[in-house]
Amino acid sequence: MADPGLEVMRGSLDVLILKALSFGPAHGYSVSRWIRHVTDEALQIEEGALYPALHRLERRRSVEADWGLSENNRKAKFYRLTPRGRRELTSETSAWLQFAQAVAKVLNATAGAGVEEAS
Amino acid sequence: MTWRRLPKIGRPDVVREAQEEIEHHLELRVQELVEKGVPLEQARAQAAQAFGDRRRVQSELVALDREMERRRRWTQWLGELGRDAVFGLRQWKRSPGFAVLALATLALGIGATTAIFSAVHAVLLRPLPFPQSDRIVLVTGWRLVGASDTSAGNFVDWRRNSKSFDPLIAIDWESFNIGGAAEPERVMGAKVSRGFFRLFGIPPALGRWLDDSEDVPGRERVVVLSDRFWRRRFAADRGILGRDILLNNVPHRVVGVMPPAFDFVADSEELWTPVAFTPEREAMHDEHYLTTMARLKDGVSLEQARSEMAIVAAQSRKDFPQENQALEIRIEPYAEWLFGPPRQRLTVWLGAVLGILLIACGNVGNLLLARGSARSSEAAIRAALGAGRRRLLRQLLTENVVLALGGAALGLLVAQVILRALRSSSWLGLPRLEQARLDLPTLLFAAALALVCSLLAGLLPAIRTARADLQTVLRNAARPGSSGIGRDRARQVLIGAEIALSLALLVVAGVFLRRAADLSKVDLGFEPRGVLTARLTLPADGYKEAEVVEAAFDRLVAEAAAIPGVSAAGVTSQVPMGPGGNSNGLVPEGRPRDIEHSIDSRLRLVTPGYFQAMGIPLRKGRLFDDRDRRGNLRVMVISESLAQAAYPGEDPLGKRMLCCEGNDDDPMWKTVVGVVADVRSRGPARDVQPEFYLPTAQAPRASWDWIQRTMTLAVRSSGADPASLATPVRLAASRVDPLLPLYGLATMEERRDRVLSETRFTTTLLTALGGLGLLLSAIGIYGVIAYFVAQRAPEIGVRIALGATTRDILLFVVRHSLAPVAGGLTVGILAAFAATRLLRSQLTGAEALPPSVLASGIGVLVLAAMAASLVPAMRALKVDPKQSLAG
Repeated sequence: MADPGLEVMRGSLDVLILKALSFGPAHGYSVSRWIRHVTDEALQIEEGALYPALHRLERRRSVEADWGLSENNRKAKFYRLTPRGRRELTSETSAWLQFAQAVAKVLNATAGAGVEEAS
Repeated sequence: MTWRRLPKIGRPDVVREAQEEIEHHLELRVQELVEKGVPLEQARAQAAQAFGDRRRVQSELVALDREMERRRRWTQWLGELGRDAVFGLRQWKRSPGFAVLALATLALGIGATTAIFSAVHAVLLRPLPFPQSDRIVLVTGWRLVGASDTSAGNFVDWRRNSKSFDPLIAIDWESFNIGGAAEPERVMGAKVSRGFFRLFGIPPALGRWLDDSEDVPGRERVVVLSDRFWRRRFAADRGILGRDILLNNVPHRVVGVMPPAFDFVADSEELWTPVAFTPEREAMHDEHYLTTMARLKDGVSLEQARSEMAIVAAQSRKDFPQENQALEIRIEPYAEWLFGPPRQRLTVWLGAVLGILLIACGNVGNLLLARGSARSSEAAIRAALGAGRRRLLRQLLTENVVLALGGAALGLLVAQVILRALRSSSWLGLPRLEQARLDLPTLLFAAALALVCSLLAGLLPAIRTARADLQTVLRNAARPGSSGIGRDRARQVLIGAEIALSLALLVVAGVFLRRAADLSKVDLGFEPRGVLTARLTLPADGYKEAEVVEAAFDRLVAEAAAIPGVSAAGVTSQVPMGPGGNSNGLVPEGRPRDIEHSIDSRLRLVTPGYFQAMGIPLRKGRLFDDRDRRGNLRVMVISESLAQAAYPGEDPLGKRMLCCEGNDDDPMWKTVVGVVADVRSRGPARDVQPEFYLPTAQAPRASWDWIQRTMTLAVRSSGADPASLATPVRLAASRVDPLLPLYGLATMEERRDRVLSETRFTTTLLTALGGLGLLLSAIGIYGVIAYFVAQRAPEIGVRIALGATTRDILLFVVRHSLAPVAGGLTVGILAAFAATRLLRSQLTGAEALPPSVLASGIGVLVLAAMAASLVPAMRALKVDPKQSLAG
């Protein structure tokens, strides 16, 4: 819990889930597997945390859930994006990119904060 | 992957679902690891570790899912409700005649009930606007004669000797002449003892309350105004604070104005000034004129206060045995005292309108039953197609709720009309009635009524319709005329109930009508037609001496008698059915001078012309004349009932009585010179009281203070409408003293009507409701018989074909309404007896249930029932036998 990487992940978990589902309906495990693979297992998150996040998205009607049969022919809960979830993904994505660009700009800056005083 | 919805059976088990979801994840994870070559045991451990705290996740999921499930069920329910409502509306649109009839019936019933409820709410149910108003009590002294006001002496003793109250206060109701630049005016005010405003606890809108230090002789020339008076007289001028206004020609400094909330009763007093008892006044125990109120101290119960005041009363009896003989102190909550009498009347009204509402519900129920038989095939088919009975029932009930809510909406319009009429009826004497509104509680009440009505009227028909079974329906469709026997019985029971309610309403209305008729025939003991009355009060300032007061009233009588068109004029200390007056104990000569032998009798100070002006006939002896002045023989005229009480079987003329003044050395005997007819001074509905008259020219000097130098002028018109004498009479009064206003102008007929108006209103209302109930019941019977005829048309046709006569057919049909009418009448008679018993307190002096009234009630109902069933019966005669036989 004290891992700062995890804290960042919590905020971005929603957007990762939405992204995972944007390719089509999936059950919880395949979402978790996708995230693991795409991030090359760089982001260490408790896999269990995924499920409350999914249900919260369901509650605010960004995803819909239904029971169906999974690839191993077992009953599983499938999630898919609603139009509302799709809109959320779009706006969240651009917000994330803007933020990342801003941070990147700052980190790539060549002049220090004292510049203004000196000029 | 399939997206087919798995059928949902009952409530989803959220716990199991959460478990399954988590297990599914772990299983696949283990599988993935095993495929990578991790040994099973190790894979399991890794998967569990990667997952984290499984139990916490699961409980989080369960909580989230429960909430979602709740929300989903709610939206589903609302959605169904909305669909049902829309469906219901469409159904009603398909049968507009039916909908209009049902809506109108419901609107009348709900509207009348809502209006009366609004009045009940405004008058009775709302709390008084004072903090902890339930702690405010009325403290009343009771003597042999009943409740009585309190003397200043007793009040001061009680305040000193009691510990239960903070504060205990006294009010001296008084009317004041308001002088100043504007037209002089007479207003009702109150002289109050210290603590009066603290008792009620409402802060002033402007300035301050009266201060305790001002309740002292010499410092009492201050006044607090009511909001109403401030707005009317001073146009809400804030600059009035600190200015002097003239009360009875004495300047008083305005120190405060109370907020509108303090005028919580219409016609309440308009100003308050300190009572400031003098030491002499505080020593007086024989003059009872104060109203006493108190606030119970925190922690003191009503019972504790009562037992303490029982001890205080004992002390008062011991200290002043003559004045406080048989004194008891009673304490009752102020609200109880204020709202006790209105409660009874409003309960009668509410009961009557609820009766109408029930009849209306019965009619609508009948309509729904009739319609239900048409709908049952639809319902049966829907049930056959898989609609659940409960779902079907709910849908039918929703339809009824839609109808009832529509009825309630229209009913609000009806209620608004009734309320507007009620609000302006200040003569009803119901406190706070003018504040009755269609406010939130009233709207909620109307909505609740709508729901209750829809259940009352609609539950049975809906159950029957929803229960309809396809086979039965189809069978009946093939054989018309054989269906709905049970349904028919239900309709008959409804009709019976309506008849019973109608009869009870009619009989109660009849009892009130009968009593009104009796009252109009009562001999009042005077001739009310052609008499105008008006009051005049002389201020103590400038009219101190008895001779000055007498001269002023003599002058008023002379001026009034000189008006063209006036045939007689006189003044009296109390006009019949008017305010004021006081009673005294009379002791006939030769009997011991104690309370036991004294006869409590009402005193009237009059000028000689009063008897002619009021038209009170002389029975014996003579009336007053110019000889009856101070220094001559002291004379009195007594009423017949007083003559009977004082001198049974003897000739009262020439007998002497002790009254009002005098002592053992100089008893000041009054000699009876005349006997006049009994006057019903409290109105035709009340008993006669023994009365005696003294000439003003011989009035006991103290008596002018008793009656606060207030007299009522009575003038008899020689022909024209007495109301047209108002202006000349006012002018006559202004010639006596231009600063003094004449007030309380009213003809004697107006006074009589005012006394009767309360009962008259109840009578009118009950008569109207009785008629409405009758009409609704007749419509109900008509409906049942018409339905019967329509159903039995084939059978009737066969009967006609077989040679039944017109009479046979009519009997066959009308007989059908016989059972419910007879049953309803039986129950109705019992209900009528019960209702009139409950109403005894409203009908003092009337026979509880005169047989003639009961008989006419039954007669009217039977006639209405026959008329209502004959119309459809006539239609039965037109049935074409050929069609029946062919069908």
